[in-house]
Amino acid sequence: MSSNLLRVESLSPFGRKLSWVIAGLALAVVPHVPHLSVWILVLLGVAIAARLVTELKGWALPPKWLRIPIAFGALFGVLLTYRTLNGVEAGTALLVVMAGMKLLETRSIRDLTVVVFLAYFAVFSGFLYNQELLRLPYMLATSWLLTATLMRVHQTTLSMPVREAVGLTGKMMLQALPLAVLLFVFFPRLPGNFWAVPARSQASSGLDDELSPGDVSELSISGAIAFRVKFDGELPPPRERYWRGPVLHDFDGRTWRRARPLYIPQAVRPIGTTYRYRVTLEPHQRSWIFALDVVTDWPSSAVRTSDLQLVTRQQPISTLTSFDLESATHYEVAAPLPTAMRRADLRLPERRNPRTLELARTLRAEAPSDEAFIEAVLSMFREQEYFYTLEPPRLERDSIDDFLFNTRRGFCEHFASAFTTLARAAGIPARVVTGYHGGEFNPMGGYLIVRQSDAHAWSEVWIDGKGWIRIDPTAAVAPERIEGGIDAAMPEDEPVPGRLIRNSRVLSNIQLAWDAANTFWNNQIIEFSALQQSWLANKIGLEELGWRELGIAMALTLGAFFAILSAYLAWRFRPRSRDPVLQVYEELCRKFAQLNLPRLPHEGPNDYLNRLASAEPKLARQLSEVRDIYVGLRYGPSPAPANLSRLKYLVNSLGTSG
Amino acid sequence: MSSTSSSHAAAPARLLGKRSLRRSLSRLIRSLSPHPRIRRWTRKRHGVDPDPFTLPGRRIYILPTGLGVTYAFMLFAMFLGAMNYGNNLALGLAFLLGALGLTAMHHSHRNLAGVRIQSAGCEPVFAGQMARFRIAIENPSPLTRYELTASNEEGIAAPQRIEPGARAVLEVIVPAEARGLLPLRYFELATRHPFGLFRAWSVLHMDLRCIVFPRPSAHGKPPPLVETDTGGAQDLSRGDEEFAGLRSFHPGDAPSRIAWKAYAREQGLQVKVYAGTEVTSHLFDWDTLRGLGVEARLSQLCRWIEDAHAAGHAFGLKIPGTHIPANVGASHRQRCLTALALYQSDEQQSSES
Repeated sequence: MSSNLLRVESLSPFGRKLSWVIAGLALAVVPHVPHLSVWILVLLGVAIAARLVTELKGWALPPKWLRIPIAFGALFGVLLTYRTLNGVEAGTALLVVMAGMKLLETRSIRDLTVVVFLAYFAVFSGFLYNQELLRLPYMLATSWLLTATLMRVHQTTLSMPVREAVGLTGKMMLQALPLAVLLFVFFPRLPGNFWAVPARSQASSGLDDELSPGDVSELSISGAIAFRVKFDGELPPPRERYWRGPVLHDFDGRTWRRARPLYIPQAVRPIGTTYRYRVTLEPHQRSWIFALDVVTDWPSSAVRTSDLQLVTRQQPISTLTSFDLESATHYEVAAPLPTAMRRADLRLPERRNPRTLELARTLRAEAPSDEAFIEAVLSMFREQEYFYTLEPPRLERDSIDDFLFNTRRGFCEHFASAFTTLARAAGIPARVVTGYHGGEFNPMGGYLIVRQSDAHAWSEVWIDGKGWIRIDPTAAVAPERIEGGIDAAMPEDEPVPGRLIRNSRVLSNIQLAWDAANTFWNNQIIEFSALQQSWLANKIGLEELGWRELGIAMALTLGAFFAILSAYLAWRFRPRSRDPVLQVYEELCRKFAQLNLPRLPHEGPNDYLNRLASAEPKLARQLSEVRDIYVGLRYGPSPAPANLSRLKYLVNSLGTSG
Repeated sequence: MSSTSSSHAAAPARLLGKRSLRRSLSRLIRSLSPHPRIRRWTRKRHGVDPDPFTLPGRRIYILPTGLGVTYAFMLFAMFLGAMNYGNNLALGLAFLLGALGLTAMHHSHRNLAGVRIQSAGCEPVFAGQMARFRIAIENPSPLTRYELTASNEEGIAAPQRIEPGARAVLEVIVPAEARGLLPLRYFELATRHPFGLFRAWSVLHMDLRCIVFPRPSAHGKPPPLVETDTGGAQDLSRGDEEFAGLRSFHPGDAPSRIAWKAYAREQGLQVKVYAGTEVTSHLFDWDTLRGLGVEARLSQLCRWIEDAHAAGHAFGLKIPGTHIPANVGASHRQRCLTALALYQSDEQQSSES
C-alpha cells in the first residue's frame, strides 16, 4: 500500500483524482469498521487495491462478465450475513459493497462522482449509528474533504491544487451553513416512522435478560453511559435511586430467566413523595425504559408490564430517546397476588441446591414471621463472612449452594439470586429485579449520569397486605455500594472503570464538563423536535407553530438565502477597478482619435506614439516622454507610482495644446 | 436455490430500471437546453449581441445535469432515512448537502456572469474544411473563473480556467460547406463548475463571419502560360534580384530576409528588401475558363493560386469586377482568394442571415 502511495506522483491526472476519491471513501467508511462484517471490509480493501493496481499498471478494468457475478455474490453475502437488506446495518453493508463494486468499473468522471455520492451516504449512515458530539468534527471534515474532492474531480483542464479546492469548498460550505441551519430549525418534524426498522442484532447494554451468577468469573463493567436523568425538582436520596429493568422469574438452579410477561394489571398506590423527571436513554437495542422504581405516570409511547417494568410499545430504543416520567420510591399493592404469579414466583428446580433449601427451612422454622425470616437472612449476610467483589470465583453446578457455603464471595447478582432462592424455599413469593442503582450527579448540567457500571440486581418479596417489598441483600453485605456507588464498595486494589478519574478533582471536573456539553448537544440538537420548534416560535413571538407557519418560514428562508447569496457573489465578482495607467493611455488615444489620428488595432504603444510624433513634430518631445513613462509603468520591471501623475499631467497638457 | 432466485431477479431489474431512468432524465435535460426552438427564441428576445459583450446575469440559463438529478435523489433518500429514524444529525447532513447544492447553483451562475466576450478572429478556410471561430473570454473579476467552455452543435471546446484579469481563447467549430462569408449563427458559453451538478449556459449571437475560400479543384488543368512582366517596375518592393534597402521587421517576414548583421549592430530587427527587375508572373483570368460554371471557375482559379503560391511564383487575378495585379506573398494570396470567396456573394450572404 505504501509503495502505491509513494508512486502517486506517477499517476495520470485521472489516477490522481481516483486516489483522492478512494481516500475520501476510506475516511467515510472508517467509522463503520467496528460493526461491519470482516468479509465486507476485506472485499472493499481488495477492490481498492485492485483498482489502484490497474491504474498504476495501466491494465484494463475487470470485464463485465466478471464484475456482475462478483456484485451478485456480494449482494447475496450481505443477505446471508444480515438476513435482510433493510435497516441500518444491512443498508450500510450494502452501501460499502456497492462502493467497492463501483470502484471496479470506475473509468469516467461521472463514475468518480457516483463513488463520492456513495461516500456521502456512508457519512450519513454513520450518523444513524452514532450521533455523539465527539464524532461530529470527524464527520464534518470527511464531508468537507469529499466535497473538495468532488470539485477537483470536475476540473477537466488543470488539476486543481488540494489547498485551493479545500479553500473554495470551505467557503461554499460556510455560505451554505446558514440555510442548512434554518432548514434544520424550521423543517416540520413528522412523528413516527415511514417504514418498519428492524432491530439491530447486537445488544449494547450492560444488562441482559438472563442472569447466571457463577458463570462469569470476572464482571466486565464499562464506564459507558446508560442513561441520564434530569429531575424537575428534588432528587430522591441516593439509597432510593433504583432504576428498574427486566424482572427475572424462572430459575433452573443456575440461571435466572424472564418468564413470558403476564399483563395482569396491578393497582399501585404510591406512598410519599413523587418525582417528575426526564430520562434520556442511550440506544441499547432493547425496549426497556429504566424508570425510577416504581413508575406511576408515563407517556403513551410506553407501557408498564405486570412486573412494573416500563417498556416501549413498538420499537426498541435504537437512537437516543427521552421519556418524561413520574415515579414514587415507595408504594403498595393492595390487591392479593394473582395465583398464576404466586405460583411462578415460588417455583424452584427440584433436586438442585439442597443445602440452600435445607438452610431456608431451618431459618423459617426459627422465625416467627416472613419478615423475621427475611431479617434473619439479611443479618446472616451481614454478620457472617460474606464479601463483595467484582472478581468472584466460578461456582459449581449448584451455584447457590457453592456460593452460600463455600466461596462466599460475589457481587449483587450472587446475593440477589441467593436471597431470592432462600425466600422461595421458605414459601415467600420472590423474584430478581435487574436494573441500575445510583448515578453520578453532574452539578454543571444538574442531572444524574447512570453508567453501565451502575448495573445492579436486587430482590423483591411479596408480603400479603403490603405488596412487593424491595430487598437489596447487597446493601446488607456492602452498604457503601448502595450509599456511595461502586467506587466506595470496592477495595483499593480492585479495578473499577473510571475510578482514577473520579478520584482526581480536575479530571473529574473535565469529565463532568464534557458530559454536560454532550448532554446539551443531546437535548438541543439530537433531540431537537417539534417541542423545541414551538419553544423557538414562542421566543420570536409566534403563538402557534403549524405547518402553515413553518412553510412560510421555510419560503422566507429560501428567498432570503437566494437574495443574499446572489448579491454577495455579485459583489465578490464585481470587476476590479481598471488600471489607472491604462485609463490615462486610453484618454490619450481618444484625444488623438479626434484629431484623425486614431490608434490602429495592430499598433502597440511604441508604434502608435512614434507615428504620432512624426505626424505632430511639435509634440514629439512630449510624446516620447509619454511613451517612455507609459511603457515603464505598464511593462517595466519596477513601475514607479510617482510617474503616474507626470503621465496624467503630460496627457492633459497635450489636450490643451493639441 | 429456486426460492432465492425470485428475490434476485428483482435486483437486476431495479438496476436496469435505474439506468434507463437516468438515461431518460439526461435525455430530457439535453432536450431542454440547446433546443433549436429555444435558441431561436433567445435570438428573437436578445437580438444580435455586440462585440465585445459583457455577459449579464439575466442572460444565463441554468439547469441541473444528470449528476445533479442523481444528487437530488441521493439527498431525498437521505432526507427520508433521517426522518424515518428521527435522526437529527443525519437530517442536518442532508440539509447541509442540499444547501451546498443550492450554493453551487449560484456559484455556477456567477462563474459565467460578467465575463467579457470578444471575437478573436477566424482564419479563412477552404470550403469543406472546418472554420474555427476564436472567442476570447476575459475575466474582469478579482476571482478566478473555472471550467468555461464554448460549444455549438458541432462540439465543445476544451474547458478553460481564467485567472483574474486574464483571458482565454475558446474555439467554436463550424463546417464551411460553401465559399463566401460563413456566419457563426450562435454559440453557447457554458460551465459546469463547481461540482458538475448544474450546467449554466448562455446562448450568444454575435455577428461573426469567417471567409471561406472556394474549394480548390483537383490538379489537372495546367495554369496559363507564364508571361514575363514588367511587374518589377510596378512594384519596387518585390522581386528578388537586387538589394534595395532595409525596412523594419514585422511578424510574418521570412527569417532568411532578416538582416542579421544589422541586428548584430544593434539596429533592431531589419529586413532586407529586394527590388526585382525581371519578375515573371501568371495572370489567372476568369475569361480563359470558358465553358465552366461559376463555382467550377472559382475552384480552378483557387487551385492555380494555391499552386503558384506554393511554388513562389508571382500571379495576378482577373475576375469580373476585380483585377488584382501580379504579386507574391501571403497577404497577396489572401487578397486574391478572398476576392474569389466573395465573388457575387455579398447579397446572398446578407439575405440569408
